[in-house]
Formats: sequence, C-alpha cells, structure tokens
Amino acid sequence: MPATPAWLASVEALLNRNIEQSAEAAAAARRLNGTSLQIDIDGLKSIRAEVCAGRLALVTGGESAADACISGAPLALFELLKNGMNSQGRAALQIRGDAEIAARYRELIAAARPDFEEELSRLVGDMPARRMSQFALAALAWARKTGRTAGENLAEYLQEESRDLVNKPELEEYLQGVDQAREAADRVAARLARLEQRLKDT
Amino acid sequence: MFESVARKYDVMNDLMSFGVHRLWKRFTLSLTGLKPGQHALDVAGGTGDLALGLLRQVGKHGRVVLSDINPRMLEVGRDRLLDAGHVGNVECLVADAERLPFADDSFDCVTIGFGLRNVTDKAAALKSMYRVLRPGGQLLVLEFSTPLAKGLKPLYDAYSFNIFGRMVAEDAASYRYLAESIRMHPDQETLLEMLRSAGFAQARYHNLTGGIVALHRGYKI
Repeated sequence: MPATPAWLASVEALLNRNIEQSAEAAAAARRLNGTSLQIDIDGLKSIRAEVCAGRLALVTGGESAADACISGAPLALFELLKNGMNSQGRAALQIRGDAEIAARYRELIAAARPDFEEELSRLVGDMPARRMSQFALAALAWARKTGRTAGENLAEYLQEESRDLVNKPELEEYLQGVDQAREAADRVAARLARLEQRLKDT
Repeated sequence: MFESVARKYDVMNDLMSFGVHRLWKRFTLSLTGLKPGQHALDVAGGTGDLALGLLRQVGKHGRVVLSDINPRMLEVGRDRLLDAGHVGNVECLVADAERLPFADDSFDCVTIGFGLRNVTDKAAALKSMYRVLRPGGQLLVLEFSTPLAKGLKPLYDAYSFNIFGRMVAEDAASYRYLAESIRMHPDQETLLEMLRSAGFAQARYHNLTGGIVALHRGYKI
C-alpha cells in the first residue's frame, strides 16, 4: 500500500472533525458505512474515500475495487462538489459503479466542508483570524473589481481608440441597415417581376 | 542507556532534526481526533512533548497518561508537565509498552513517538496498545524510518553516526545506540503489516521529510 501524503491526512482530519460537529454530516457518514469511492483526478494520483464506523478515511491507491468511481479534470470535480450532480461540469466527468453512492459522498463532503475562518482561528486565535479573513475577502473583492475594470478598459480601447472592434450600438445599426437594404432589394425585385409580367400580358 | 541522556534529550532532538521534530509531533497531534473530555495514553512518552499537546486537546475534563519504562526520562517529562501547569488530569507512570498496566478499552487515542524502535518485542507492544484502545480509538506511531531517496541515506547515516552524537552528547555510546536502533527499525511497509497483524483496521502511514520519519496509524474497530 503506498504512503498517504501528509496533506491528504490533514484534509481527512479536518473533514472528520466537521463530520463529528455536524448532525447532517454525521448522518450522511452513517449511511455510507462500509462503502468506498475512488476519485481519479486527471494528472494526479487516485484518491480513495472510505467510510468506516462513521469516520471518513482518505488514502491514495486502493487494494480492491471501489463501490463507485468518479474521474475527471480537477475543475470539473470542484464544480461537482460546489454545485451538485446537475452542475455544468457534470458533462466533463465520468461516473462508474453506484451513482447513488457517489452522490451521497458529495453530500457528505459538502456537509463537512470546512469554514476557513474557523480553521484559521484554531491556529492564530479568533481576532487575528477575523482580521485575516476580512483582509482576504477584501483582497478577493479588489482583485475581482480590478479584473472587471481592466476588461472594460481593454474593450473600450479596442472599440473606441484602435477601432479594431465595433461596439454594440454600431453593430446593431449596421445589421439594421443590412436588413433594410435586403428588404428594399426584395421589394425592387418584386416590382420588376410584376412589370415583366405586365409586358408579357400586353 | 536513557538514564544518561534524559536531561539532554530535548536539546539532542532539536540538534538531530534541526528542530523539525516539532513539526513531526505537531502533525501527529493534528491527527489524533481527540475531543475535550477524552482519554489519551502517550507510551514511551519520555520528556512529554506529545503528552503536552494531548493535554491541550482533551482539556481539563479529559485525562492523559504519560508512560515510559525509564524512570529518569519520566521524571523529566513529569516536571515539564507540572511546570506547564498541568495537574489533576495527567498521570505519569513507569510502564513497559509490551505489558501496559491498564484495563481493556481504556483510551480514545494512544501515541508512541520515537519509542517503538527501542521496544524489544514490537508485536507484543502493538497488541498491548490495541488492547487498551477503545473501539473506534486510534494508535499513532511516530518513528524514524527508511528515507525514500537513495542519495539521502548515506548523508543521513554519516550525519547521525559521526557528527551529532559526538558533538553534543557526553555519552557517545548511548547516541550510537540511538543511531543504530534507527537502522534496525522495520521499514514503512513492514511496520504497516505489523499494525495489521496486531488487529488494527484502516492502517496506513505518512512519510515525513522524505521518509526519514513515518507516521503509522490504525484504528481499533
């Protein structure tokens, strides 16, 4: 059996602590007793999750076939964890074996998902954790706002300064003009056809 | 042998591992899963590094037993726990790891840090620790092991046999024994099998610092 990485052991300890503290997660773990799920992440080692006596164990590799297996790209798996089986990334995943067990494991991990501020407070105390969390949220909001503003500025430069792209009103006006020209050409064609018909009749 | 090194044991550990043994122990403590009010046993606990962490986890209403076969080491550990203000919920006991003097199903977690390699009958010690664990309880074995990288081993041998012991210890023979006992200790997979043979379920191990140290763990189900 290969060694289990230390980081995986830390994740397992974190999830188990949350399972013990959450009635919903504990009930989900009890329902999964004796089952296993293999998670094949593209480019990484397989992770096997097992529940035994209400406790989740995460190991790399596995000696026997798991009850269910999910494989896919890291982002698609994260999307699945975040949004459930109906998520957009669902199409990029492959589920083999008992799909219900796979869905229950997702519910278990979602119910036991750690609160990062709470975990941080265990290391550095409540007040510093609160400050650090607020700082991280503010930094994230700033990064999002900066990214959005940079995108808007770039679009404006390409549309208004360099004129490599057209803006939406100009595009709509152009398309409307094309429509009007097509309709006028159709009308002219119809009139010519009617005139031709009259000439033939006379 | 530990009589002569007891007072310098912590200093030696820091020098031997460049202080990394604190991280190994911290990682071990992060996996105990102990809650306030629970009971823990630190076997071959020596100067009480792990016991101190266990005491913080079980709180005032929990109980920690620090045991060691060597009274001198235990004395250092007991003084250290007392100096840290832990009274009432901690017991210090001279005990043989192969025959632990506790009733069956007594503890929620048993730890043994850098002690198993000094036990003569390791299988008996593992069975004894299994016996005193409660169902659902966990054993954590932190111990020197076999480095994974081949190039690391000669450097590691040269350092541990020739440099550190002579540098600090007055009793070089004792530290030579420590270095040799590391070489004689079972490798990761062998110890894993021993845990399984003793009855532990969900047994696995984590390599730390390239396999110089490994943490083995297993549950009594």
